[in-house]
Formats: sequence, structure tokens, C-alpha cells
Amino acid sequence: MSTQKDPSVCFFRPNGKSMRREIRVIALVLAAWLVAIIGSQFAVFLLAHTTQGASLSRWTFFNLPIPFWLTGQFLPLWFIIICAVFNIWMDRHAGRDLDGTLRFRVSADKTRGE
Amino acid sequence: MGESTVKLLPLAIVFGLFSLFIISGLRTRKRQASEYGFAGGYTGRVGIGAAIASNWMSAASFLGLAGMFYLKGYFAMAYVVGWTGGYVLLLVLMASQIRRFGKYTAPDFVGFRYDSQAARTLAAFISVIIAVIYSVAQFRGIALMVSWLFGIAYTPAVFIGASLVVSFVVISGTLGAARNQKLQYFVLIITFILPLMLLTRKLGYFWLLPQFGYGAAINDLQQQFGFAWSQPFTSESLLAWFALCFSLMFGTAGLPHVLSRFYMVPGIRDARWGVVWGLFFIALIYWSAPAYGILARLFEAKNGIAFDAANLASADTVVLSAALNGGLPAWVTGLLVAGGMSAAFSTVAGLMLTGSASFSYDIYPRLIKPKATEVDKVYASKGFFLLLAVAAMLLALQPTRLMIAEIAAMAFALAGNTIFPAFLLGIWWGRANAAGVITGMLAGMAITFAPFVFGDSIPLLSLLFPITSSAFLGAPLVIAIMITVSLLTAPPSVEIRSFLSRNVHDCPED
Repeated sequence: MSTQKDPSVCFFRPNGKSMRREIRVIALVLAAWLVAIIGSQFAVFLLAHTTQGASLSRWTFFNLPIPFWLTGQFLPLWFIIICAVFNIWMDRHAGRDLDGTLRFRVSADKTRGE
Repeated sequence: MGESTVKLLPLAIVFGLFSLFIISGLRTRKRQASEYGFAGGYTGRVGIGAAIASNWMSAASFLGLAGMFYLKGYFAMAYVVGWTGGYVLLLVLMASQIRRFGKYTAPDFVGFRYDSQAARTLAAFISVIIAVIYSVAQFRGIALMVSWLFGIAYTPAVFIGASLVVSFVVISGTLGAARNQKLQYFVLIITFILPLMLLTRKLGYFWLLPQFGYGAAINDLQQQFGFAWSQPFTSESLLAWFALCFSLMFGTAGLPHVLSRFYMVPGIRDARWGVVWGLFFIALIYWSAPAYGILARLFEAKNGIAFDAANLASADTVVLSAALNGGLPAWVTGLLVAGGMSAAFSTVAGLMLTGSASFSYDIYPRLIKPKATEVDKVYASKGFFLLLAVAAMLLALQPTRLMIAEIAAMAFALAGNTIFPAFLLGIWWGRANAAGVITGMLAGMAITFAPFVFGDSIPLLSLLFPITSSAFLGAPLVIAIMITVSLLTAPPSVEIRSFLSRNVHDCPED
């Protein structure tokens, strides 16, 4: 935890309930992002380099071979999904925090910041 | 594509489209004041998304990506994943925090966060280099299109293309035409997908969703012609794929003209949801791009045209050659060329304006004329814009072994090695200081360019930091350097650390 003497923010030592919750969600999203990329490519690699995989990778789903599906179609879609989930969580989470704080700065534009 | 005649109908479509952009830009300018009132609503977020996507789409996406599929098959998926996955990093780690900083450019952010004019000037210098490299890729794309349109050789096409870009920016600027990015994205998506639907329909594939329909072409190429180049990891290793993919992702989260999208959006929620919409709009193009590369190979095989891996210019225009070899009418190829040119023009205009702004506000008054007035800065900006255009044009004239997408990837690698670590630590680690960021950014530049200079004499450098993928190992290394140097030197001021804690991360005051 940071102390009164050191106000430094650190991703791995979040300060306060709000930041802790936010970082937990960020870590989950990044894990979902990383596992999907690495996992899908190892799967594709195995499909391309094993005998059983070679026969599997000849299968097509909706015209496309499985490796093209996994990487070209599914991964971008997965990124959109996890970004949307992150935003939904942040909308609810940030909305709750804002009720309890007056510290949030409203910048020069006329619309409310959040 | 070697016909040396002017293609009148496609040329008319290109000029018509650019006139439409200018006219709608003039209308947008008049409406803008009232539209801002609704900017926080649902339409606003879709609009921000369209702006993010049209800002993003360049010749590298429109032409280069298909060219990479044509040459390297599955390996090019690293571009699709890298250029979409980077937005996840951007959203969760940066978008709303950048908005809370309230700074307007990448050098502005670095200068404020690290409380250092030297860091700010260095960031401006890097932004300019990124703008030049990225513009070279666009100029190549524009020149290839101009070369086809006018039936002329590549070299004069570079000069004509550069003159057209400068003229377009000057005319738009003089008339005060705003960029109508929603219209621009709409045009891009139509000009990219419609020809693809017509091509897949001609081949008898599932044309309603050509993003899936092209799969049949992969099978046909294998069964009828014995082509297996599109199979995973046949030409490049899994590690090379990861290196390129992650380098592009780090670069996406570090490109100044991409980050600048988040400085001025009306609200933080809009900034976040704008990213999701932007990613969806970008994915619509990337789901489709592989199809052009695969179909181009199929049409060539069917027409008995021999595949030439060494002809990079031909590979970079496969979007066009697919349409031509597929026998699409001239107006459809005209639409494709118009879409490609509008993507390249808008990107190059945005990059050069950002680059010249960085020069005139961050470099010129600090290093060249300390007492520069606002008028001086405006002239410096205009002069530097022309200088940037000339520099990018001269570089585009140089013979290269790199495809459009690979030149763009170099710009991403530089951004990933310099700006990305500066922003990441600047936002998430209060202890990062000016000495750390300056050392880190200099190390990032060295990592990006060392393989060019010493790559032949020290092969290990090219192995560890390949020119298109150097940020894979480079970015973590720069982050480690920034952390080490920051810890060895004095922490940033309490004001900056408190600002980061209270205003950016909403931490409670102890």
C-alpha cells in the first residue's frame, strides 16, 4: 500500500478500493487477450504439425479451414467481445464510484466528463 | 497491369470521390457546432468509432494486408491480430487515462507527465520520424495507384502522387473543409467489400459473406493447383509470427496519431465505447482483407499467370489485380482505387499535419528559434509540412525489399519501442521519471534502427530485433531500462505523482 509520504501509483500495488477493482478487471481482460492469442496459435501449430492435426485442419467450417477461422475471424471478434465486457463493467463500476466522490474533474467542455 | 493508357472512368471516380469529401467537409464544418451538443449520445460513440477506424485505415490496411496474404498466406494473420489486438491494450491500459490527462499531443503528454522539456522534444522528434516512415508506406501505395491510373512508371507516379497529396491538403485547408470521417469510413467499407462480393459471386462461392466465402478458394487452390503456401507456418516460424504480432500490438498502443484520438473526445465513456466501435469497424475490413490475397492467387492460377514472389509492387496491388483478372467492370476497379487512395490520402495528411505540429510547437521554439512568435510557428508548421512531404517522397523513391505493410510495421516497431513504454509507465507507474523515459526512448530508437546499421556485421541484432518486429523484445527491454534508470535517479515531483494518483486513477487521498 502506498503511504502518505509516497503518493506514487503502481499497477502492481493499487491504492484504494476503486483502483484495486479496476486493476483486477484489467488483469482479467489482459489474461483473456493473451491466452486467446497464444492458445490459438499453439492449437494452429499443432494442427499443422501433427498427423492427427493435419487431417483436422483439412476440415472447414462455413467454408473456411479451421486455422483461418480461429485466427482471422475468431480472434478479432474475441477482442471486440472482451473490450465490450470491460466497458460494461467499467460503466457500472465508474458510475457507482462517481456517486460517492466529488473529486472528479469536469474539464473545459460543456458535456459532463462521465 | 502494364497498360500505358489513362484509365478515364476510374480516374473520374477518384476525382469525384475526393470532390465529395471536400464538399461534405465544408458542410460538416457548418454543422459541427450543433452536432457537438449530441456528442455524448449513442450516435456520438458510433461516430467516434468511425473516426477511429477511418483514421486508422491506410494503404497498409487497404492494399498492403492483402498483398501480404498473397505472398505469405497464413503468416499475414499476424497483421490482422496485431492491428486489432493492440486496441485491447489501448482500451484497458490507456484510453480513459489519456483522456483524463487533458493533454492534446503525445509530446504534450510526455512533457507534462515527466515534467521535462527534453523528454517532450525527444517525443516530438520520434513522432516526426514515425510520421515519415508511415508516410513512406502511404506514398508507395498512392504511387502504385497513380501509376495504374495514368499508365505511367512508378518514379513519375511518386512525384504526381506527392503533388496530389500536398494539393489536397492545401485545398482542404484553404477552403476550411473539415474531415468528414463517418462518410470516409462508409466509402472505405463499400469500396472494399462490394468488389469482393462481386468477385466471390463470379467464382460461384458464398458471396453474401465473402469474409467466409473465400475459404472455398483456399481448397480450390490446393486441390486444383497444388498451392499450399497459405497453410500455417510453412514459410515462417511460430516465434516469428508472435514477434510480428506483439510488435504490432505494442505499436498500435503507441502510435501518436492513434493515441491523439482520445485526447479530445467529449467524455471518458465515449472514449471507451468509441474504441469498441472503432475495433468493430476495423475488423470488418480485416475479416475481408485475406480474401483479396487468396482470390488474386486463384485468378492468376486460372489465367495461367506465373507467381513471382520477387515482384513486390505487383504483390502490393493484388487488390487491384484481383479485380482486373476477375473481369470486374471498370467502375468497380475505379471504386477500389478511389477507396485505396482515400485511405492513403487521409492517413498521410493526418500524419504530416501531426508531424508538422510536433515540429512547430515542440522542436522549433526549443531548438531552433527560442523566441518564436505564434505567427512564426504557423509558418514553421507549413514549411515543415512541405519538408516532410519531400522527405517521404524521396524515401518512397528508394528501391526497397519491403512491402507496404512491412514499412508500416517498422513505424509500429518504433512506436512500440519508444512511445508505448513512455505512456504505459507514465500512466501506471508514478515512480517513472524524466531520466528513465529519456534513456528508454533513446534505447528504443537504438533498438529499432541498430539492425539497419549493424545488422550485417552483427547478425544477432537482426535475429533479436527484426526490423518489422523489433518491439516484441524491444518494448519489454525498454520498459526494464526505464524502470532501472528511474529507480537509480530521483523520483518525479510530488505534484505529478499526486496528480496521477488523484486525477488519473481516482485513488483516495491518504
